[in-house]
Amino acid sequence: MIRVVHLFKTLQEQLILDDINLEVPQGELLVILGESGAGKSVLLKHLIGLFKPDSGEVEINSQDITKLSEAELLKVRKKMGYLFQEGALYDFMNVFENLAFPLEEHTTFDDQTIAEKVQEALKTVDLAGVEGKYPSELSGGMRKRVALARALIMDAKILLCDEPTSGLDPIRSRDISDLIRSVSKRYNCTTVITSHDIDNSFRIADRLALLRSGQIIAIGTPAELKSSDNSFIREFFQS
Amino acid sequence: MRTFFDICFTSLQRVGEAIDFLVGVCREIVKGRIRIKEVVKQSYEQGLQSVIIIALTSFASGAVLALQGDVVLSRLGAKEYIAQLVALSLLREMSPVFTAIIFSAKAGARITAELGTMNVNDQILATRTLGVDPIEYLVVPRVIACFLVLPVLTIISEIVGILGGYFVGVYQSNIPGIFYINQTIHAIHYVDFFSGFLKVFFFAVLIGWICCYRGFMTKGGSLGVGKYTTEAVAYSIIFIIVSNTVLTKIILTLWG
Ligand SMILES: Nc1ncnc2c1ncn2[C@@H]1O[C@H](COP(=O)(O)OP(=O)(O)OP(=O)(O)O)[C@@H](O)[C@H]1O
Ligand SMILES: [Mg+2]
Repeated sequence: MIRVVHLFKTLQEQLILDDINLEVPQGELLVILGESGAGKSVLLKHLIGLFKPDSGEVEINSQDITKLSEAELLKVRKKMGYLFQEGALYDFMNVFENLAFPLEEHTTFDDQTIAEKVQEALKTVDLAGVEGKYPSELSGGMRKRVALARALIMDAKILLCDEPTSGLDPIRSRDISDLIRSVSKRYNCTTVITSHDIDNSFRIADRLALLRSGQIIAIGTPAELKSSDNSFIREFFQS
Repeated sequence: MRTFFDICFTSLQRVGEAIDFLVGVCREIVKGRIRIKEVVKQSYEQGLQSVIIIALTSFASGAVLALQGDVVLSRLGAKEYIAQLVALSLLREMSPVFTAIIFSAKAGARITAELGTMNVNDQILATRTLGVDPIEYLVVPRVIACFLVLPVLTIISEIVGILGGYFVGVYQSNIPGIFYINQTIHAIHYVDFFSGFLKVFFFAVLIGWICCYRGFMTKGGSLGVGKYTTEAVAYSIIFIIVSNTVLTKIILTLWG
């Protein structure tokens, strides 16, 4: 479960997050929509402790992570998966090594088990057979899927995805959106996705939140938001 | 006036952050969080990358010392001291400083560019989201590798440099080979070797520190990587040369 309480953040004297309150129950898939620069990535980074807020709380499974030291945060993060906007795979490692890295770091599995887990993760994202390739040899969509596999490989119970579909063609966008939904539901992950891909978001989200100038101006199920009469919401969803 | 104080303040703040960074690195080392495999890999890459260019420049430096020594010492009627001139100049000053400078331009630039690229591509943040401390995983092995590799490169530089002097001494100044070698061996005292060699460890930490820190600070895409890398090398070279003067004074005062 994720709970955000009165979260404020200023960056370079600019208020980026302005009193965010949010609760995502275990197993729910929430999509945060918003224009470019609305503060989506900054909010998502607070959820995994990459940013410290000016004030407010971020609770992960009832533990306020804003009070934790970096060393304690590292432990909390082992249970979380984070998909970066650009994937952020290690470019000096091939796909296999990238996926094996978290397992080698945090588990005592032998090489055999690690290899099996990597194969399984690659199969989940429909990418069997690219183990030996380096990230620079993959297409953007493949890189994102490998990055998703890396985020999932530790059996994360919380999955955070920053714009999983940006920069992808419509078909790939749909595929990766569906993929995230299906893994999220299969492993009962609490999932938060940021996006400005309205169609896919409506299709896969349990709930949607609309972020504007650092505030959540609307939150609800796809049906609720579609029937909203707030003019900005209507405008945003029509575009 | 305000801007002047602002500049002073931000500079102080930056130095503070840089020192913080170094303290963080030292803390990991003291705790024994050292990845031997990574250290070996980094040492191998840093050493391999620099060894040929350092051998080449050292050979040339030794040779040019002997060439100049031939002229100057002949004037004083002391041509047989070329070997001493070459060996002592190399050991006390030239090899440590030259090696450190070349090392910072090769290995140091590589470190900043690597870490800087990782930083602008979010790979360092990603390391943290995977529950791994990037200081421990990425920085500590590189700093330790500098600390191990630079002294070795310095010794290689000293040996090759003396060889360069030997060639000029024997073939240009017609000094008998055996005599040249004897002179060299007798010239070198412990203090000559160590007064130069000790400084290298300081330079190694300096290079590792500055270049890793600049890599971690890199922002602004590929332009940023270029900018921060050249700055890291420039800072390293400036700090090596300036600190060398201070270190030399300290060592000479304490030790002669
Ligand atoms: N590290 C940072 N330092 C300073 N300002 C930042 C930093 N990161 C983001 N910002 C600022 O915060 C604001 C929100 O950025 P954010 O990246 O969260 O937007 P976003 O909603 O994710 O946009 P996009 O859809 O383009 O990814 C922007 O104005 C940006 O300039
Ligand atoms: Mg973003």
